Amino acid sequence: MIDFLQNTLDGLALGSSYALLALGFTLIFGVLRRANLAYGPAIMLGCYCATWAYLKTGIGLLFLALIAVAGSTLAGVYVERLCFAPHRKGAAAAAMVASFALWMQFEELATLALPRHLYAFPALYAGGPLSLGRLTLRVESLVMLVAAILVCAALWRILYRSRFGTAVRAVIDSPAAAELSGISVSAVSLQVFALASAIGGLAGFLIVSGNEQVTPMLGMWSTLKGMLAMMLGGLGSLPGAIAGGVALGLREAHSQWYLGPQLRDFIAYLLLFVLLAVRPPWMNTRSAY
Amino acid sequence: MLELKAVSRHFGGVRAVDGLDLTVNEGEIVGLIGPNGSGKSTTVNLIAGLFPLTAGEIVFRKQPLRDVPVHGRLKLGIARTFQSIRLFGQLSVWQNLWVAQNSPEDRSRRGFFARWLGGQTQVREEIAQLLEFSALGHKQNELAANLSFGEQRRLELARALAARPKLLLLDEPAAGMNAEEIGQLRQRIVDLRAKGITVVLIEHVMELVMGVTDRIAVLNFGQKIAEGTPAQVQSDPAVKKAYLGGS
Repeated sequence: MIDFLQNTLDGLALGSSYALLALGFTLIFGVLRRANLAYGPAIMLGCYCATWAYLKTGIGLLFLALIAVAGSTLAGVYVERLCFAPHRKGAAAAAMVASFALWMQFEELATLALPRHLYAFPALYAGGPLSLGRLTLRVESLVMLVAAILVCAALWRILYRSRFGTAVRAVIDSPAAAELSGISVSAVSLQVFALASAIGGLAGFLIVSGNEQVTPMLGMWSTLKGMLAMMLGGLGSLPGAIAGGVALGLREAHSQWYLGPQLRDFIAYLLLFVLLAVRPPWMNTRSAY
Repeated sequence: MLELKAVSRHFGGVRAVDGLDLTVNEGEIVGLIGPNGSGKSTTVNLIAGLFPLTAGEIVFRKQPLRDVPVHGRLKLGIARTFQSIRLFGQLSVWQNLWVAQNSPEDRSRRGFFARWLGGQTQVREEIAQLLEFSALGHKQNELAANLSFGEQRRLELARALAARPKLLLLDEPAAGMNAEEIGQLRQRIVDLRAKGITVVLIEHVMELVMGVTDRIAVLNFGQKIAEGTPAQVQSDPAVKKAYLGGS
């Protein structure tokens, strides 16, 4: 029983990182109805910028977090302008393939700047885990969990209580009517990309500082985990992204315990395949957050 | 205020608008009438920027509009309503108006972050006036998709006004309305003029067009076949033949 509870706690912590990744994915998908394959690589590039700055100057964690967020945001804006802005009407496949090309570009950029496959990243917390009776919880995991809750609350506030969020929902509802109401669909799309990439940058920073290492594989990993969590929870739904992320984390933690670590990712991708093949009803709904 | 100079819009071999010249002066209410398919809605779409021009030029307050995007035209002061209503159905009535406040005055009054991330309290008074004008105060928290047809028409008009337009293009605003609602609409259009708004009215309900406009242009097959006061247009033989069914 204690193993089950510990796995559940670990799964919740892991799931909160997936939820953060899925939130950014969902924001973009909600507006554009298109998958941005370069979402994870943009996060990776932001984390590489922070790693590069750390190696050159040795600056503190707070600055590294800011650099990771700023780098991911700039990379996200670059992706939007190059891949999605030119293909806003139609040509969904062209936009997705273009984002794949930028994925490759970001990986090349990262390995050109830092050629080794693995770099150490300063730890978010140097002490031991917290004890909760017979259970343990890493402080990094707790920070991730709190960050996921805070980001979700802030996003809800932005989308449902601010004029910007109302404009985003207006664009989702009717892009043509939004343009005729004086809302620049192009500007809203860019701002949503920037916001989503900033959230991704924060998630990336928390993940690499929790793992204390960064590799170029972070890009692919973030895209796949974020996309899978988004699909699990229903496309374009914010609560769904959180639920999907947590469900994925729980499933990974338990399957790792019961089936072994080798099968953990295999099962995750098998699940993605089954979801795409079966397309359950919640994946076909057009949620607007 | 608005000048259409030899404006054309062709869709393949179809000349939806063909060499149209039209001038709208400040403070006027101008009617645009014609049989179905005569090019009225296409003309409004060209002014609003939904379609590019095939030929000619549109000038608004001495500024050519050719390179101004759709949302940019609204910022210049051109707003419109649609023949088929296009509201934000998943937003409330109040939010439909809030999100449409994109005039230069609104933009300059508040900073970027205050405007986009600020709450709803700053603009309550202005939106309350729009709700009163459109008689939708009691429905302000209702989703736009749940309104009746007449209420949706009124909301669409109020949303266009939220942008503080100088020129308002009304595309068949009376479609689907009963006599009482048309009477109220007529009064609203008169009130708009009193607020200093110039109106271009496309309408099939002749009683409304003849009763409220200063001047009428008649289109047929994309070309202007007559222009004048309502009385002049009504007695024009070409108009009778093309539109009113006379011989």
